[in-house]
Parts: sequence; structure tokens; C-alpha cells
Amino acid sequence: MAESSNSFPGTNPFINTKLEKSPSIQKISEDEEFEVTSPTDMTFRQANAGSGNANFGGSAFSEGSQGGGPGASFFGQSPFGTGAASGEGESEEGGLGALPTGSARQGFPNNYALGRRTSVSAESLNPTSAGDESWAPPHHPKTDEQLARLKTAVSGNFLFSHLDDDQFKTVLDALVEKPIPAKDIKVISQGDAGDYFYIVENGSFDIYIHPSGSVQPGPDGLGNKVSSTGPGGSFGELALMYNAPRAATVVSTEKSTLWGLDRITFRRILMDSAFQRRRMYEAFLEEVPLLSSLKPYERAKIADALDTIKFPVGATIIEEGDPGDAFYLLESGEAEALKGGASVKEYHRGDYFGELALLDDKPRAASIVTKTEVKVARLGRDGFKRLLGPVEEIMRRTEYQLDASKSPVSAS
Amino acid sequence: MATGSVEDSSSEVQSGSVPSSLPFKTNSIRHGIHEKERHLVQSFRSVPQKFANPFLVTDRADENQLCISSRTLELNDFKLLKTLGTGTFARVWLTRLKNQEDKNKVYALKVLRKADVIKLKQVEHVRNERKTLAAVNGHPFITNLIASFSDEHSLYMLVTFLLLLSYLLQGTDLSQLDFCPGGEIFTYLRRARRFNEDTSRFYAAEITMTIEFLHDIHGVAYRDLKPENILLDADGHIKLVDFGFAKQVGNRETYTLCGTPEYLAPEVIHNSGHGLAVDWWALGILIYEFLVGQPPFWDQNPMRIYEQIVEGRLRFPPNMPPAAQNIVSLLCKTNPSERLGYISGGSGRVKAHPFFANVVWDDLFYHRVKGPILPRVSHPADAGNFEEYPETDTRNQNIYTEDQKKKYEPLFSDF
Repeated sequence: MAESSNSFPGTNPFINTKLEKSPSIQKISEDEEFEVTSPTDMTFRQANAGSGNANFGGSAFSEGSQGGGPGASFFGQSPFGTGAASGEGESEEGGLGALPTGSARQGFPNNYALGRRTSVSAESLNPTSAGDESWAPPHHPKTDEQLARLKTAVSGNFLFSHLDDDQFKTVLDALVEKPIPAKDIKVISQGDAGDYFYIVENGSFDIYIHPSGSVQPGPDGLGNKVSSTGPGGSFGELALMYNAPRAATVVSTEKSTLWGLDRITFRRILMDSAFQRRRMYEAFLEEVPLLSSLKPYERAKIADALDTIKFPVGATIIEEGDPGDAFYLLESGEAEALKGGASVKEYHRGDYFGELALLDDKPRAASIVTKTEVKVARLGRDGFKRLLGPVEEIMRRTEYQLDASKSPVSAS
Repeated sequence: MATGSVEDSSSEVQSGSVPSSLPFKTNSIRHGIHEKERHLVQSFRSVPQKFANPFLVTDRADENQLCISSRTLELNDFKLLKTLGTGTFARVWLTRLKNQEDKNKVYALKVLRKADVIKLKQVEHVRNERKTLAAVNGHPFITNLIASFSDEHSLYMLVTFLLLLSYLLQGTDLSQLDFCPGGEIFTYLRRARRFNEDTSRFYAAEITMTIEFLHDIHGVAYRDLKPENILLDADGHIKLVDFGFAKQVGNRETYTLCGTPEYLAPEVIHNSGHGLAVDWWALGILIYEFLVGQPPFWDQNPMRIYEQIVEGRLRFPPNMPPAAQNIVSLLCKTNPSERLGYISGGSGRVKAHPFFANVVWDDLFYHRVKGPILPRVSHPADAGNFEEYPETDTRNQNIYTEDQKKKYEPLFSDF
């Protein structure tokens, strides 16, 4: 981690300010669950023939890898040029029944860059494995107030929104303070390589884009001011994915403070936690007799398909008498099996229950109730079948003996 | 540079320890140019026998001899005719052996500058590429690695140039050849704006077989499927090129983000570990782009592309055939545990999907039918179907430093 306070690597793909972000993605009204059998709201534009070349070659935000390259010049038209149906009177809110044939506001951008697309790649990352020098993410203490502000700042960012609580905390801890001592300091420069993502703690910044794609010498070298950002704003998020040229220049307009996060730290945090989680689940699965005949790669597939669910104290994970539909691994915390109200077994980290639900939907023979806060990994029967086929076939590989004493939930 | 001889000797030492799985090291004695050519031709002739049983390519010693990190070839043996393509750190040339009188015998030579490879942190990927190409050599839909070699500044991979292969298969006399390279499917797609269902199905079917081969036989994830990386041969069949991101992952996961923005799978973006399933995702994107003319997730700002990808909401044009919509939806499941191709049944279930209902897989595989687009025929070494690329700008080239040499030269010794 770079730690010098005011030497910015100057290397960051500029991406996201609050100003820029909101209008680019619009939601359409459609069912939450995307199902093939029921066509989704097919809002789709076929019109706009001839307007497709408006932004040909990519805008300043096309981040280098996206711009239509020189090779694209012989295609001047929108890919939807033919069969253009001018959709009159279609309704975006039409819902499932309506199949609008051409909405000017939805579907594909009409300025699709037709050029050749360049591959992108981040640095090679390999998980820290046992025996290697262990890597620990950097930890920069922050006040509760600062943490709350940071949480808000990244809450709308899809790179952060899918993190679990632990990952999210580790990432926030890793953010490093970057004081900007004065105005007119270039935090990132358009065209430079990008390594850091920034969140504004206080102060303000102007954002410039030069049409040439990079900062030029001379008084107007920064290009046009396109927006500005202040506390809670962020920029440079593409740098968290791979090294791409910065799409804009960001300059301080007063003494300010930023929080910075570099790509390798960010991706490493995600990778290490994913890696450890997978290995932990695989180890747990190895202990399940019903699944003992699984080949290692099948166990890996299952480990990958497990959903993590959290339960508070006193919650019922499985209800006696309910049809079984899923199998559980206890990842952390404690739980107990209750039969007719009496405790018959306790569960700790690495224990499993409900595995016979993978076979059929016979009623649960016991309830499982949490004694502490509990994290479980769940796999439904359907999910198992989809991945590996029917459990019966896998069981046939070895003789699996049902052992009622060991598995009160499943015995019936 | 003065260290040339030192480098030579060190690389010889390295090459002496080439893994025993490559049983062709004995061939690396010095040959004259004609000897080289003899081997090159042999590599082509060896192909038909593999067509007979392509999924059991066990005995390939004759061809593997040419996949060897060659100590006999050098750049000076080739005449560079035209740039066929450029990447961030590579350039592909149409080449001919200088001493070759038959002007029709052309190859594609991929040149990677060591300094660029290092600067862009692609050493591992380049090693993977050479290793993978050597391992999967001989599949009808994959570009054939003939030889790899290196010099002080660059790494080289010599591959079959497109059409040559299929003409040899048909017993066509090379000197009678009248063909030109097919170029990328990308070029045809952009010209046509979109492909009809039959054309899309044909290419999708061949890609499916290629993925099946890479996954099931070699455990290799290709990781950069897109129209730009699919070339056509003279009969209109595909050739998958550019194995720069291909990696043998088997059934494990890997973490390095790589690919092309529009084709990245959600798990790659999330860095939660990805594996073979990413190729099935990309196949869905590819089929969509064939039929619609552009990929399903797009924005000028790449971060908005990624946001759409992880959200995974596909929208289809109403006139898109239902079976095509269905297969794209099944392939582009954001959760790899639900993705067609990766789930139970594997590639077999992809091939059994109604979208491929009338495909006679063997006819495609054995080139018993011609493809829907037959490249324009003209002069053999004509690269007219490829786009024009600017010449190399030598002014700002990265220098391969002595320090880098010490650190990285052993890693390049495979070449």
C-alpha cells in the first residue's frame, strides 16, 4: 500500500461520481425472478436506425478498452438499422403482458460501439494457501462516524453491495486516508494507468475530460469541466477491476481528504475470503456420510452452490413435521435438535443436518433451533439435483447406511 | 546485446529440463531451413489421422515435435508479410519462410515482446497460452501451434494460417491453391449487422464442440470467447484463436480477472472464484450477439456494463426465436451453479437443447458440410479480409532490462 499522504499514484480509472451515476442505468418493471419460460418484459428498441454512429469511437468514458477502434470505421449504422419498427404508444410500465416493440428510452444504447473489443486483465492473483507467507489486509482505524459515511458512500456500488458483512468490514478497514493538502492537486489524470479507487471524506473536486482521451500540455490541457464531487462522492472505481486508462482528470478545489483503496488489496480480500469459504465448505462436506461417495470435484461444485444464511438466537431453522427441502451445514454458532420439545442433539461448527431432504421430501423428524447467532450454509434438493443429478444415483456408488441416532432430523 | 550468448546457454540448460511429458526434445538438434520446412509440412499431414478420432488424441508425437520450444527457428527465417492483428502486448503477422519458394505456404506468427509481457503482468498468461495450445493441438476448430521460439527480446508462436489446414485435408495441391484467409467472424458479423438463426446456430454449434473439447478433455477454460477471436477457414468452419487467457483449471476455481468486458461472467467481476462455467456464460453472450448484432449488456462506461452483468437481466428483441432466447437465458444464469453447460449433464445438455435441434454434430466436426459464409477467394497470401493495423510504433517501446532478464528469463524458457 502506498502510504505517502500526498503522492498520488495518479493512476486511476475515473468512473463514478454521484452526478454521473444515476441516469445511466434504468430499471424496468419486470418480475424479480428471471425465468425463461415466461418472457420478460421485452422492452427493446429496434428503432434508432441511423443514429447509431453518433458517438462512434467511444466517448471519453469509454475507458480505452471500449472505444470503437479504427477498424470500426466502415460500419456507420446501428445494428438495429434494419427492421426498425417505430414503437408508437408502447408503455414501459406495460408489464409482462405487453411486448413493446420499440421503446426509445429502453433496451440497448443506440450508440453501441461497433469496434473491435480489447481484452482486459488484472494482475495474477493466487490465494494465500497454508504454508505460504500469510497476507493480511491492511487495517486503518476509523471512527464509527467515518465508517458510517463510507458505508453510505459505497452503498450504491455493485462492487460493494454483494459483499457479506465480514468482507465489507475488511474492505472498509483497508481504506487508507489520503490528505489533499491544497487546491489544484491532480488526484488522477486522464489517460494514466489506474490503481486506486477514491471516496471523498471532505473537500471538493472538479472533474475534467479532454476529448483527446488524455491530459494535454498547455493551459487548457485538462479539457472541459464535466462535473464536480464532494463529501460522499467517489471516483476511479474501474481501477478496482483492472488497470485501464483513467477516463477523466480529478483536481482538488480546496484542502480535502480522500479515502483510497487499491485494486490488489480489494481483489485479494474478496479472493481470500471466497477461497477460505470454499475450502471450509468442502471440508465440512467431507464429513457428511450421505455425500461420502462424491468425487472431490463434485464436492467443490456443491461447496460453490451453498447459500449462506444467518439466524438470530432462538430461531427455528427446520420445523418438525415440515416437508424436507434442503440440507444444512452449520458454519458458526450453536443449535440443537428438538423432538416434541425435548432436546435430543446439539450442533456445532462443521455439523450438518437435514441431509435426507436431498433424497425426498419426507417430513422433518425434528426441529432445529438456534442457541446462539448462527450461520448456516444451505443447499436445496433441487439445487443438488441440478448440479449433480439425483442423490440416489450418487448414493448407489456406496452403501450409505441411515443412522438414526446420528441424524435425528432425517430419521422418520 | 552482449549477453546474447549467455542467454543462449542458460536457455539450453532450461530446455534440457523440459518436462518429460513433452517427448520431443530429441528433435532439437540443428537443422537447415529445408529440414524445418519438412517438419512444418509433416505437422499438417499428421492432422487427418487425428480427425478420425479427435477426442482420443493420445499419440501425437509426430506433431508435438513441432510444438517444441524450437531452438532451430528464429525470426530471421521468416518474411513478415502483413499484420493480421494486434493486442495490448502482441502482434500477429502473416509470414512465410524466407527460403520457401512456394509462396502459398504462409503461417501466422504471434510476436510478444518480453518487456511488454512483463510490464502488463501477463507472464503467467503467456506461459498458459503456449502450454494450452501445445496440449490441445489438433482439434479441427482450434488454431494449430506449429512451433514456438524466442530470442533476446521476444517470444514467438507459429500457428497454422487458417485455410491451409482444410485444403490439405482435401488433398488439394498446395501449388494450385487459390484462397484467402477468411478473417474474423467479427468482421462478417459487423458487416451483416446480425446473423440469421441458421448461421448463428452453425457457429454456436462449432463453438460448443470446441468448449466441450477444452473442458472435458483438457480441463481448460478458454476465458476470452468473442467474435473477434473466431476465424473462418476456407470452408467456412471456425478456428478459435488467441489462447492468451486459456488456463487449465480442471474442476478448481481461479481468480485472476481476464476476458473482454462485454463477455465477462458475473463471478469473474465479483472475484469470487471462477472456472469452466465462464465459457458457457460467454457462449450465451455470443449467441445473443450473433442474432441481435450486439451483446446484451452494454454501455459506454464499462462499470455500467459490469453492473448490468451482475444484475443479469436479459432483454430480448421480440423477433428473436424462442429457442434462442431460451438457450441464452439458460447459459447466462448469473449463478454458475444454475448455468447450462456447468450443471448436471454438462456440454451434452447444451448440445441437446432445442436451439441445436437439427444440428448434425459429426458433419460439422468432420467438415462434411460447408459453413454458411465462405470467405472470398483470391490470392493465397492475401490478407485482404483482415483489417488494417498501423505499423509498430517503436519510439515508446518498453525495454527488457537486465533485472527483468534475471528474474523472468527462466519463466520464458518453455518457448
